[in-house]
Amino acid sequence: MSPLSRASRLSAFLLSFTIQGSWNYRTMLGGGFGFALLPVLRQVFAGPKLMDAVRRHVEHFNAHPYLAGLALGAAAKLESEGSDPEVVRRFKLAIKGPLGGLGDALVWAAWLPTTVLLGLVAYLVGAAPWLAVALFLVPYNLGHLTLRMWGFRAGLTWGHDVAHVLRDAALGHRAEWVSRAGVLLLGVLAGLLLTIDPARAMVALRGGALEPLWIVLSAGAFALGLLGGARAWRPAAMVAVGTVVSILTVAAP
Amino acid sequence: MTILGASLLGGALALDATSVGQLMVSRPLVAGLIAGSLAGDPRAGFMAGVILEIYLLVAFPVGGARFPEGATATVVAAVTAATYPEPGSLALAVGLGLVWGQLGGWSISAMRTLNGLIAPDPVRPAVPPARVVSAHLLAVLLDFVRGALMTGSGVWFARLAVERLAGRWPLGLPDTTGLLLVGAAVSVGILLQSFGGFRRRRVLFVTGLALGMLGGVLLP
Repeated sequence: MSPLSRASRLSAFLLSFTIQGSWNYRTMLGGGFGFALLPVLRQVFAGPKLMDAVRRHVEHFNAHPYLAGLALGAAAKLESEGSDPEVVRRFKLAIKGPLGGLGDALVWAAWLPTTVLLGLVAYLVGAAPWLAVALFLVPYNLGHLTLRMWGFRAGLTWGHDVAHVLRDAALGHRAEWVSRAGVLLLGVLAGLLLTIDPARAMVALRGGALEPLWIVLSAGAFALGLLGGARAWRPAAMVAVGTVVSILTVAAP
Repeated sequence: MTILGASLLGGALALDATSVGQLMVSRPLVAGLIAGSLAGDPRAGFMAGVILEIYLLVAFPVGGARFPEGATATVVAAVTAATYPEPGSLALAVGLGLVWGQLGGWSISAMRTLNGLIAPDPVRPAVPPARVVSAHLLAVLLDFVRGALMTGSGVWFARLAVERLAGRWPLGLPDTTGLLLVGAAVSVGILLQSFGGFRRRRVLFVTGLALGMLGGVLLP
């Protein structure tokens, strides 16, 4: 088997940015995985073998989208080396759980909220809106793009043996450190929201300091969120109810 | 900003949220500034985005879970807040934005069910590459159209609501701030629990709280 061309590898990596484009409840990431791997499969196979390879790769698969590139790179290497299709299938089956769990813990539960909090805190202490946005977007995407590139490259390099790279990267340990930074920023945000003069940062809401009643209610709401967690509060649903009640109250004669 | 313009923006940002890129320009903090700028009042749009961001800090696209859609919610709220400067309009814009975010979450679930019908069937003996490409691109197009329709209908409805109700909003600006803060406080509590809980993180959280309060008092 010939080694994968640079164009095939680059195309697969770029297409992996749309890997969730056809996410569905039947094959989940399967369609997107097959779509992103097409440049590689087209180089390696032709005719009926190509259609069979495509069929194998649109089967059910799921992972965190940023880490799915690791499985994609590994699958590309395995296919280019002419590995047994059953070996490729078993590899994807084994790797999808860790890629989903680690990605969710590192990115969705730690990196994203922490970088968002950085932007929010920057705004509340006086940064211009564009700067606050930049302080969120730039660090977030540095981490995001690094993770994608690292994963795809690791998969391409190590193929079937990529699991040890994932273990050595200690993503769970990194998530813990990011979470700690997030907690500190969350505390800063809460402190600022309770004390800052609204006229200072919330230009659209200027009008003086908060009444103690609202601070007490906010403390109660915080405790509710802390104790009940997401089960006690679906933010949009609760606010939807609140909005409807408010509108009815306002509209009442 | 026209409803068509808002719809196109909402469609593009909806793509970023899950289908294409996920660079997070669809987060309320960013989307609010973009939508507000296009609607003629960046600061009002950004403010709506900041409030929604605090509310939606705990809404992440984890796995196949249904989550409120922040992108369309923010465009609805930011365009409304930027168009109507009255005190009550911001609260209504944020509230209606969140309602639309919830509806957007349901529409994503419906679209994903539809995607299941479009996706190539791996049980077939062979799948042509063209079948995979067309299904994938159609699903991406559907997501754009879905986001655009959700945003357009939301902006249209929010305009109707704000024009009729904003002037009758009973709270002044300080109390409106307080009301919005109460809702945001719940999200802060949930996020702390998600970060490990108060008992485990109390030292860091209280340190941050003290720093934040000090900063809030000392800031000029």
